[in-house]
Amino acid sequence: MPLASLLVSTSDGPWGSGLDRVSSSEDSLRNLSPLQWKSGPVVSLGWSAEEELLCVQEDGAVLVYGLHGDFRRHFSMGNEVLQNRVLDARIFHTEFGSGVAILTGAHRFTLSANVGDLKLRRMPEVPGLQSAPSCWTALCQDRVAHILLAVGPDLYLLDHAACSAVTPPGLAPGVSSFLQMAVSFTYRHLALFTDTGYIWMGTASLKEKLCEFNCNIRAPPKQMVWCSRPRSKERAVVVAWERRLMVVGDAPESIQFVLDEDSYLVPELDGVRIFSHSTHEFLHEVPAASEEIFKIASMAPGALLLEAQKEYEKESQKADEYLREIQELGQLTQAVQQCIEAAGHEHQPDMQKSLLRAASFGKCFLDRFPPDSFVHMCQDLRVLNAVRDYHIGIPLTYSQYKQLTIQVLLDRLVLRRLYPLAIQICEYLRLPEVQGVSRILAHWACYKVQQKDVSDEDVARAINQKLGDTPGVSYSDIAARAYGCGRTELAIKLLEYEPRSGEQVPLLLKMKRSKLALSKAIESGDTDLVFTVLLHLKNELNRGDFFMTLRNQPMALSLYRQFCKHQELETLKDLYNQDDNHQELGSFHIRASYAAEERIEGRVAALQTAADAFYKAKNEFAAKATEDQMRLLRLQRRLEDELGGQFLDLSLHDTVTTLILGGHNKRAEQLARDFRIPDKRLWWLKLTALADLEDWEELEKFSKSKKSPIGYLPFVEICMKQHNKYEAKKYASRVGPEQKVKALLLVGDVAQAADVAIEHRNEAELSLVLSHCTGATDGATADKIQRARAQAQKK
Amino acid sequence: MFTLKGNRLPAADVKNIIFFVRPRLELMDIIAENVLSEDRRGPTRDFHILFVPRRSLLCEQRLKDLGVLGSFIHREEYSLDLIPFDGDLLSMESEGAFKECYLEGDQTSLYHAAKGLMTLQALYGTIPQIFGKGECARQVANMMIRMKREFTGSQNSIFPVFDNLLLLDRNVDLLTPLATQLTYEGLIDEIYGIQNSYVKLPPEKFAPKKQGDGGKDLPTEAKKLQLNSAEELYAEIRDKNFNAVGSVLSKKAKIISAAFEERHNAKTVGEIKQFVSQLPHMQAARGSLANHTSIAELIKDVTTSEDFFDKLTVEQEFMSGIDTDKVNNYIEDCIAQKHSLIKVLRLVCLQSVCNSGLKQKVLDYYKREILQTYGYEHILTLHNLEKAGLLKPQTGGRNNYPTIRKTLRLWMDDVNEQNPTDISYVYSGYAPLSVRLAQLLSRPGWRSIEEVLRILPGPHFEERQPLPTGLQKKRQPGENRVTLIFFLGGVTFAEIAALRFLSQLEDGGTEYVIATTKLMNGTSWIEALMEKPF
Repeated sequence: MPLASLLVSTSDGPWGSGLDRVSSSEDSLRNLSPLQWKSGPVVSLGWSAEEELLCVQEDGAVLVYGLHGDFRRHFSMGNEVLQNRVLDARIFHTEFGSGVAILTGAHRFTLSANVGDLKLRRMPEVPGLQSAPSCWTALCQDRVAHILLAVGPDLYLLDHAACSAVTPPGLAPGVSSFLQMAVSFTYRHLALFTDTGYIWMGTASLKEKLCEFNCNIRAPPKQMVWCSRPRSKERAVVVAWERRLMVVGDAPESIQFVLDEDSYLVPELDGVRIFSHSTHEFLHEVPAASEEIFKIASMAPGALLLEAQKEYEKESQKADEYLREIQELGQLTQAVQQCIEAAGHEHQPDMQKSLLRAASFGKCFLDRFPPDSFVHMCQDLRVLNAVRDYHIGIPLTYSQYKQLTIQVLLDRLVLRRLYPLAIQICEYLRLPEVQGVSRILAHWACYKVQQKDVSDEDVARAINQKLGDTPGVSYSDIAARAYGCGRTELAIKLLEYEPRSGEQVPLLLKMKRSKLALSKAIESGDTDLVFTVLLHLKNELNRGDFFMTLRNQPMALSLYRQFCKHQELETLKDLYNQDDNHQELGSFHIRASYAAEERIEGRVAALQTAADAFYKAKNEFAAKATEDQMRLLRLQRRLEDELGGQFLDLSLHDTVTTLILGGHNKRAEQLARDFRIPDKRLWWLKLTALADLEDWEELEKFSKSKKSPIGYLPFVEICMKQHNKYEAKKYASRVGPEQKVKALLLVGDVAQAADVAIEHRNEAELSLVLSHCTGATDGATADKIQRARAQAQKK
Repeated sequence: MFTLKGNRLPAADVKNIIFFVRPRLELMDIIAENVLSEDRRGPTRDFHILFVPRRSLLCEQRLKDLGVLGSFIHREEYSLDLIPFDGDLLSMESEGAFKECYLEGDQTSLYHAAKGLMTLQALYGTIPQIFGKGECARQVANMMIRMKREFTGSQNSIFPVFDNLLLLDRNVDLLTPLATQLTYEGLIDEIYGIQNSYVKLPPEKFAPKKQGDGGKDLPTEAKKLQLNSAEELYAEIRDKNFNAVGSVLSKKAKIISAAFEERHNAKTVGEIKQFVSQLPHMQAARGSLANHTSIAELIKDVTTSEDFFDKLTVEQEFMSGIDTDKVNNYIEDCIAQKHSLIKVLRLVCLQSVCNSGLKQKVLDYYKREILQTYGYEHILTLHNLEKAGLLKPQTGGRNNYPTIRKTLRLWMDDVNEQNPTDISYVYSGYAPLSVRLAQLLSRPGWRSIEEVLRILPGPHFEERQPLPTGLQKKRQPGENRVTLIFFLGGVTFAEIAALRFLSQLEDGGTEYVIATTKLMNGTSWIEALMEKPF
């Protein structure tokens, strides 16, 4: 397979992405060719937008290779082709990706608009087509791919529904055959070359003629391509014969060049590349700034500035003259701009430098020239010169580079495994790490994990050494790649470096390293993540193993307990059992005695289990209390049976109170004794209950049953609460001296309270009484206190 | 906007229904009920669910089990971790946080706290120094450092607003919330409970007085008031000791009536116009004054009661270390008279904390009394309190509290409630331990109290988060440092008041911004720890 027939172009980038391969593609081809010959004859070659080499074989198989000659995948253009063979194929580019169109031996077309998402479309038959069309091409209009073909003097447009004959408007008469057709880079324009040596140029929709040209050469051209002219927007088509190159357009004259060797043309964003065995040339429109400066005898400000700078270097006073000339016209800014712009379009570093030097020189005489454009141009040129180097071999023009963006350029470098250069560029341009260095390192690492001959250890170490904690590097992505290559161990090692548990854990689960995933999830503190792993583990392991795993992870265990509390109570019990956590087991059964059991017997049984558990937990108090509760429950049940009324689930205190209120004093006494209610509390209880009953007689009897352990002030208070002053007074006299004043005040005996307070000589008490003295009635008392006070002070 | 309720959704002619919920399982049941009881004949509605602050696998699982997961078109999260309550106060309002962290070993709220702090740092710059005390504080700090590593690369270049972060576990200071708060705001919260900065008050005091006809019945619906520093008067008195509030209110009253009197002096049209232009502000001030006078009266009714006085006396005795080792008469009487269980539990716990645990005999006595009086089911509550360390037997027979009290000067005998000079004014004598720790951290530093820090539970630590050189602060002389203090497990209004007091000190050197998992008081705290099996 000759090198010249290697079709190289892409759609997303404006330049032939594979061009740099010209120097090295021989290597890659040499690698490829044996494969191809084994597989079958190749009809056509082409590069996809993703820089994959598509090889269309005669049997309809399309083999896809990576940039490095590595086989990626293959697909077929349909079964029908197997018999009929592929006569011809085109690789074209749409906004969806790269497409393949084939012409079969049965003169039928099949195309796929996107090889990434393969959908074969068999085009309708062309009526009466008996032999191969003289020329054809794939067109892309309104997001749909069409085929345009020429049969004799007729043109047909094939879409997937129909075949229609079309006629280009204004076509010169006498055409009996079309020899070549060319679609522009943007799919907007079409050029047709006829057997009369006539070239028709118009829109691809065939609705409008733009211009025509008669070159009077009837020999079929080898190639015809559009040459974009971004500056003048004029049309130009480049036609190539064996040794002749002709540029034609609107003008009545054509430009002709002689080709020394067999050449191949590649249309690009801003020109046409011409390859031959030994040369690589670029045909393009001269940019405005360059023209201004380098035109012979140009007096443009840029040209003068360049001259001025040269003179300045020669230390000649002419420098000043030139400079003045520019300044007098007020064009210095423009001059600097021109020099900067022109530098961008130069390919030779020497020329770039002298233009930039001129710009820099001119800048000195300007007050406020924003430095950005100059600085950026210097940076851009450095990058461009670096990638244009023959070792790298990406000969981009400045406009192409701008169109491509630095990000895409970096992607391309990464795809060529030129990691060091890519990183140098990032660092030089000070790109943010996440978009720059980190991303490239991550790509490098993904490539690294595919090197199967290096041990897991070494790869992991190498990657970590390079990447370290570089921000923005996703170790989990690299690990996922390693896992994809079947290197699980390596993936796990790499995941160790991943700081984001949210990324780490799912991958570990996917690799069936659930336990590791669990500890990672726990480390993160993200409980939801822990639950994710737990539920996963629960399904994956048998119950015993699952419990054992939990046991070693206290945090997971407590979370799982929480889960069980809501979802699986029985499991919760098992968990406590496993841990011999008798205290919690006891509480569990206490809860169960309320929740699950209706009948007394059931409740008591549950409480018994609880008490047993508390004993095992050496919590004697809880065990005893629970036993008391059982006793009380049984008793309450009996009380309900014997006395009626509601007793169940009252507290002991309330049970006794209810009994007293019901007049069952004996029973109340008994219960209090049985449960050893302390005296003080029992007195309070009885006092409150009897006062509620307003059973004053019984209360008095009770007060006299023995000396009150709570004193008699509460009696006074409670009587007053029930507004029974008469009863209250009875107890006021029995109140001990310390609280006497308070008691007397409560029953409203201010005078006596005053006497007691005076007797006690207690200042606090005196003030208290005084504060109770109200106006007229207690006037005398108040005086008395004041006098006592005065006396006390004298002493 | 409706509150989540069971059964059918309220009728509304809408296409989209958005559930805005905390990721809690019981809420999922209610939502499922809502969705399932949707009228099938009516127009179909689209359901969406937004979890606050994070999606939860378990909740989605529960929705799936209930067969409604598919009904939700969107399942998203609204990561609202910290909710601003005031200019210097943020809260996660996560009621269960303390119980989950300290009882159940569930760190979810700590994770949310760490996330919230990361958000805060993304907005206000990396906090260069992190201090912490306690197990949970350690974990939050660890998570933050981890998360920082995860975010590296998105290095934020914001000049840091906060100089320090102090993470404090609630269980380092179990004492403070148990004591009755004595600031104005603290007392409102103790007595009426402040919910999301709103308080509901008995309406009688707020009835318009002028309408003399007593025939009109008093308003029965509780008076709802919003309380925050946007209200000028409230900002002034909220953090004062209640005893100092009265004088401020009367002074204000005089100023306002004097201002209204001004109208008689207004002679010219210009003067009248100026007076009128001030009217709205004056009327608002008068309304605000009337409200707070009423509230102060309500509170005074409580604080002057004998029982309040007795309770406070007991609390203060405990906190100053008097008779903490034996059964207390007042508590005994409270139980015997069946006062509210929460009040009893607060007191018992306070005694336990002030004695580094109770003697086994005393503890068992209290427990028995409580179980007999309030019912045996409370054994679960007691168990919870013991697990939280609020109630415990003294181990080793050593009472560490006096050491802590003396070293940290927790009890101050000479308190000036009117013009305080020390944070102890917020509890009329007791200086909240947590705030003391913060105060000592800023000056002279924790190294001076190593010994006490060792006694208090959990590790104490310091972490540095290096800043890029461009962001390092050069402090002007006299410029205050700003400390963000995060209470893990809740904070009381009295503690907030104490911190605000420190911020205002002229020579304090530190301003505080407060964040917490929950604004709480002793009552709501104990209540969250209670368990009612039926």
